[in-house]
Amino acid sequence: MTLLYVVLGIAFGFVLSRSGAADYDFIQSMFLFTSFQLYGIIGTAVALTLPGLLLLKQYGKTVTGKPITIDLKPFNRGNVAGGVLFGIGWSIAGMCPGPILVNIGEGKLYAIAALGGALAGAALLGVLYPKLQGPLGLPRA
Amino acid sequence: MTLLLHDLTPVHWAVAGAGIAVITLALLFLANKRLGLSTGFEDICSLALPIPYFQRKAVVSGRGWRLPFLLGLLLGGFLSALVGGGWSPTLALGMFDARLGLGVIGKLAWMFVGGLFIGFGTRLGNGCTSGHGIFGMSNLEGGSFATTLAFMAGGILTTNLIYRVIF
Repeated sequence: MTLLYVVLGIAFGFVLSRSGAADYDFIQSMFLFTSFQLYGIIGTAVALTLPGLLLLKQYGKTVTGKPITIDLKPFNRGNVAGGVLFGIGWSIAGMCPGPILVNIGEGKLYAIAALGGALAGAALLGVLYPKLQGPLGLPRA
Repeated sequence: MTLLLHDLTPVHWAVAGAGIAVITLALLFLANKRLGLSTGFEDICSLALPIPYFQRKAVVSGRGWRLPFLLGLLLGGFLSALVGGGWSPTLALGMFDARLGLGVIGKLAWMFVGGLFIGFGTRLGNGCTSGHGIFGMSNLEGGSFATTLAFMAGGILTTNLIYRVIF
């Protein structure tokens, strides 16, 4: 199974790398509305995944016959606050989480700094979580 | 517009989008896993930080698939560079160099700060482009639509401020 995840990751990473999704200039052009590429990628991905999920949920089983179980994400004030903060970071770095790894693989050394920041940011959120939980209505950790 | 990587022409967006959809559905059908990358930061933190938040089930149970997947992403980028013109380390950053020109230390600090917002924001928002944008919206989860709008708003404001106002 571990090999399966690595292989799927390689495929995903290759697509992100060759499509512009992991490219600083393409991300800026998405936010500047000077290129359609990223909207096309995400739009097509959703347009195809949506019916695929409906079919899979109806079928209800994995390839080995085990039940398919999809955990839904809870929605609270943290989503919008966190979303905006992530968007700011996506703009600044020109990468989102997956592309950080892809860019390191490609040899873009500054992505290592982005990964360092991301791990520090995630660690900070973990440490602050108990304090933020009440005010933002976050689920119990 | 070409990629920073070896000036390559990007693959068509419909092809890339289809590729992402296939991988997302394969992950679910083959292994019952919901695509979501940002929890990977917590998976990595859980290896080093003993605080209870990082030892909770959602983090620890996901390590077995997410850490290999993240390794795959890195290898995918490496492979892409290798077959696309050769692998070589670089600090070149396209329009950032042309318009901001902050030098090496400035660029690395900039990236670290960007990373801080990404790490903190994705985990506070409980997901990123893959978990909310692709899976959540495809699964018609209202919270994911709202969160995706929020991060697009954050990105649009910030990029336009940087590239159309300040620099």
